[in-house]
Formats: sequence, C-alpha cells, structure tokens
Amino acid sequence: MAIIDNNLSLRNRNKMLVGVWEDEDKLIEATSELVHAGVKIHDVYTPYPVHGLDRIINARRSWLSIVAFLCGMTGFALAFWMIYYMYVQDWPVDVGNKPVRFTPSWVPVLFEATVLCTAFGMGFFFFLRNRMIWGIQPELLDDRQTDDRMIITVETGDHVDENQVLKIMKAHGAVELRERIAGVQTAL
Amino acid sequence: MIHDSLIRERLVTGGKTASDVTRDIARPILNKPSTAWKVGFTLSIVFLGIFIVSLFWTLWTGIGTWNINKSVMWGWDITNFVFWVGIGHAGTLISAILLLFRQKWRRSFHRSSEAMPIFAVICAAMFPVFHMGRVWVGYWALPLPNAFGSLWVNFNSPLLWDVFAISTYFSVSLLFWYIGLIPDIATIRDKVKTKTAKYWYGFFSMGWTGSTRTWARYELISLILAGLSTPLVLSVHTIVSTDFATSVIPGWHTTIFPPYFVAGAIFSGFGMVATLLVVARKVMNYENYITIGHLEAMTKIIMLTGTLVGIAYLTEFFIAQYSGVEYEQYAFINRASGPYWWAYWSMMFCNLASPQVFWFKWARTTPWFIFIMSIVVNVGMWFERFVIIVTSLHRDYLPSSWVMYAGSLTEIGLFLGTFGIFFTCFFLFAKFLPVINMSEIKTILRNRE
Repeated sequence: MAIIDNNLSLRNRNKMLVGVWEDEDKLIEATSELVHAGVKIHDVYTPYPVHGLDRIINARRSWLSIVAFLCGMTGFALAFWMIYYMYVQDWPVDVGNKPVRFTPSWVPVLFEATVLCTAFGMGFFFFLRNRMIWGIQPELLDDRQTDDRMIITVETGDHVDENQVLKIMKAHGAVELRERIAGVQTAL
Repeated sequence: MIHDSLIRERLVTGGKTASDVTRDIARPILNKPSTAWKVGFTLSIVFLGIFIVSLFWTLWTGIGTWNINKSVMWGWDITNFVFWVGIGHAGTLISAILLLFRQKWRRSFHRSSEAMPIFAVICAAMFPVFHMGRVWVGYWALPLPNAFGSLWVNFNSPLLWDVFAISTYFSVSLLFWYIGLIPDIATIRDKVKTKTAKYWYGFFSMGWTGSTRTWARYELISLILAGLSTPLVLSVHTIVSTDFATSVIPGWHTTIFPPYFVAGAIFSGFGMVATLLVVARKVMNYENYITIGHLEAMTKIIMLTGTLVGIAYLTEFFIAQYSGVEYEQYAFINRASGPYWWAYWSMMFCNLASPQVFWFKWARTTPWFIFIMSIVVNVGMWFERFVIIVTSLHRDYLPSSWVMYAGSLTEIGLFLGTFGIFFTCFFLFAKFLPVINMSEIKTILRNRE
C-alpha cells in the first residue's frame, strides 16, 4: 500500500461520470444503489462529513490510530533516552540530595514528549496520506463542492455500463449529470 | 429512518440551509470590516501599545520597575501567567472533552474556544519569560548541552515540567485548531474573489476537496487529537499547580491543587468563552448559530465548576485546621482576615457566591447578564491566583521579612497589555477565519436523533 493515497488525485484519469446532489439523504441512497449495482465508485465529495459514506463505498479503515500509537512509543523512547543521558549518565545534578534515577519526577516530561510525538507524527502521516501540503492546487469538480453540493464520481471503463450508472444517479435525485474527459467537464 | 427530534430544541435556528451557513458565517470575511470590528480592533491595538511601552520600560530599566521583592517574588507576574494559562487550558478542554462526549452543541463555539488557548498561551508565556530578567538567555530553560553555559536542566523541577508542558500544549493546540480549520479555509477559498485572498486561502487549505476518504481520516484524527488533548490539558494544569504544590510554602503545599486548578481553568475558560461569544453573536449576527440554548448550557457548566472551586477553597481551610500545622493554619486565617482580606473575599464572592445565580432560568437565558457574569468570573479567577500567590508569600516563616505588596504601574501595564495581545489576535482571527465551524454546523442542520 502506497503511503500517499493516489485515489485522491484526478490527474491522469480516463473518462469519469460526475453526478451532483444537493440533498444528503438522496446522495446516500444513490451511493448505496450504485454500490449494490456493482459499480465501483471512485469518490464522493461532500462539504461536510456524511457519516457512513466511507463504509458504503468500501473505503479501507484508516491505519492512523496504529500510526499514532507507534509515534507515541517513539516519543516515549526518545524522551526516556534524553532524560537518562542528561540526568543520569552525563552529569547527574544533586539538588537537595534528591534522587535522579527513574523517579516519578520523570513522568511529566515522558508524558508530554509522548503526546507531542503522537500528535505531530499522526499529523504528518495524515497530511502525507491525503496528499495535503501547503500550496498544492485543489482538484475541484464544482465551485460549490465545499459549500452545499455533493458529488459522486465514477470512473468508466470496459466493465462499466454508463447508461445504468446515469440512470441510477438520475433516479436518486442528482441535480446535474456531467462527464469529465481529460479534465474537461460537459453536461449530459 | 430519520426523525426530527421532539425532545431537543434545534441547535441551529432560523431554518438555515448549508449555503445559508456558508453565507452567514463567512460574511465578515468576505465583506469589508464592520464599524464594530474597527472600533474593537483599534481599542485592542491601544492596549497592545500599553504592553509594548511597559515591556520596553521593563527591559530598558530592569525588573526593578516591578514591585516584586524578596518575599513576594512572584507577584502580579505569575498571577497573570496562571490566569492566562487557565483561560488557555479551558479552551481545549472544552472543545476536546465535549467532542469525546459527543456534545453537538459544542459545534457553535468550539472553534473560538480552540483559538483561545493559542492566544492566551502567548500572553501567558510573556510573564515567566520576562520574569527571568535576563530574557536573552531564556533558552537555557530548554534541555540544551551544558556548553551553553548552564548544566543540563533539572528534571526534578516542576518549572522544567512547565517548559515541556506548555510548549507541547501550545504546539498540539495549534495543530488541533489548524486541522479543524482546513475544510473551512477551503470553503472560503472557493468563495473569495480577489487573487491575493484566493492564493492565501488556497495555500493554507492544502488542496482540500472534501473527498469522503479524507473526511473519514479527518474525523479519526480529530477524535484522536481530542483524546490526546484532554489528558494533555489535565497534565499541563496539574503541572502548573505543582509549581506551587511541590514547594514547602504554607498555603501552597496542598495535594488538592491539581484538581482544583483544573476545575478553576474550566471555570475561567467558560467565563472567557461566554464573554467572547455573547459579544460575537450580537455583533456578527450569529444569533441563529449561538442560541440562548448554547449560552444556557455554558452557564450551567460555569455554575458547576464555580461550585467545585468553591468547595476546594473550603476544603483547603478544613485541611489547614485538620493538619494541626500552625503555619498552615495561620496562612489561611491570614488570607481571610489579614491585610489582603479584600482580595480573598472578592475571590469568594466572584467564584463561589455569584455563579449560584445561575440556578435561576432568567439568569441563564439573558445575554447581557451572562456577559456581566462572565466578567465577574474572570475577575474572580484573577483574584484567586493573586490570593494564592501574594497572601502566601507576603508573610513567610520569618516575621522580619513580612512585607506588603502592590503591583507597580509597569506590572499593571503589562497585564492590561496582554489583553491587547489577546484581543488583537482574536479580532484578526474573526476577520480572516470563520469563528464558527461551518462544516460541522452543516451536519446538525436537520436536528437528527
């Protein structure tokens, strides 16, 4: 599995069918119906999170929580090594004859470092996986897809019955149907 | 099957659609600034000016411009630090805990409560940094090689834990806030007209398109970050309280400090959120999004946490008596009846007594009254820190070092000035970024069960 999710890119795509919705419930119905009919949905774009859609289109469950755990462990190990090296190995500081080896006073720094590494490690992989970086050009299908419109895209090919796809989309409340060839969209 | 809830009142009123939400919430960003914004911003800049002048005077002349002395060595400075840190902590706590508890009403105000920590921590950081005196060697507080002139840092010291805790807190809060902002920045990107605005919103939106796959990961990371932020905030304010509690100063050396500081932080944070939102909903016409129901829910939490800190104050008194330690007993009697009695009773009035008014429905549902109460809460919480620091320090074990302390003009200027920093940041935030999370508000338009 590539770390970067290339499904998100619309570049180098063949012909695509694009359906536009304005109603969330109809969008969910249409998506389920398309999946039932055996159509492989490329993606669904919504201006807000619509719960359950990722399961309907069979998107793989994210590994982010495992990544977060691993990053946290790394942070803990690094902080442990840092404290051990500075405080025990290199130059133990005797303040008021207080112990320096493995005392509970290590806990706050260990905890903070663990949280810091978890958050930023997870953030880094989140951005990487989603192809998100400062300054990247968004590949939009509709000016209002971040406002109030929802979009289903289906990549066509030999195995896809285009008419059937369009029929299902229309029957379930699509307000617009388009085809996208080499980056150019035309209304159907 | 989808039902409209019969029990719960709508979280968003006015029959709004998704495009209405975008239009209403993005209005201050897409249009020229309103007169109210200009007045508020100018006032904030004036206070920022006071901060700069006071800081310049402190650096030019030295810490001698403050009235702190060998007994009261923390004074206004650390009072202000804890005050701002408290406000800051509450913001994330409010947002993260309410997310974990799936409280949908948080959606109207969590964006501004997540912005608060960032601005408040900047204000807070000013105080310990400049309290060092030689601020140019401030980086010695970091774990750097001892070739820089100091030994390695002391991991037994709560002040070092503070360095780790607050820097972690600031950076994680910033990440939490920014990730939450990305979908809305993308919405603004697709609405703005000018080329410069399009470029900058486009730059920070990181190519967001609203793909379902991205949303699923976005929701997961938000949940994990909320799960991380909650113990993080608890740890940070616990650590701030150990700055006091690990010492042997009567009045500080108590184990109740961590929970009591955390409750105080939520209390003051909700106070500050209420101050900001009561004004914002009026000035920015957000009455349909921040409803009386939202304000009422906040006042209930203010009352609960106010009562919690009140109980902590009383418990401290009881424990001092029960401990049989005369120094501890004296510290508390001196708080309530010594020369700083007015500060103690102001604190008791503002934090314990006054929030009880929220038992009455009228008090919970009248915005101008909530606004006044939110100021009272913040005044009370400032006094709490003042009482803890000054009354415990001004009379120590050695009566010959007993002194009185009052903040100098420079100290007062620095404190007022931090309001300038905070509100300048907040006004800029309200002008350039959506104060309410648009994408999350759109999910609750239908009031589903």
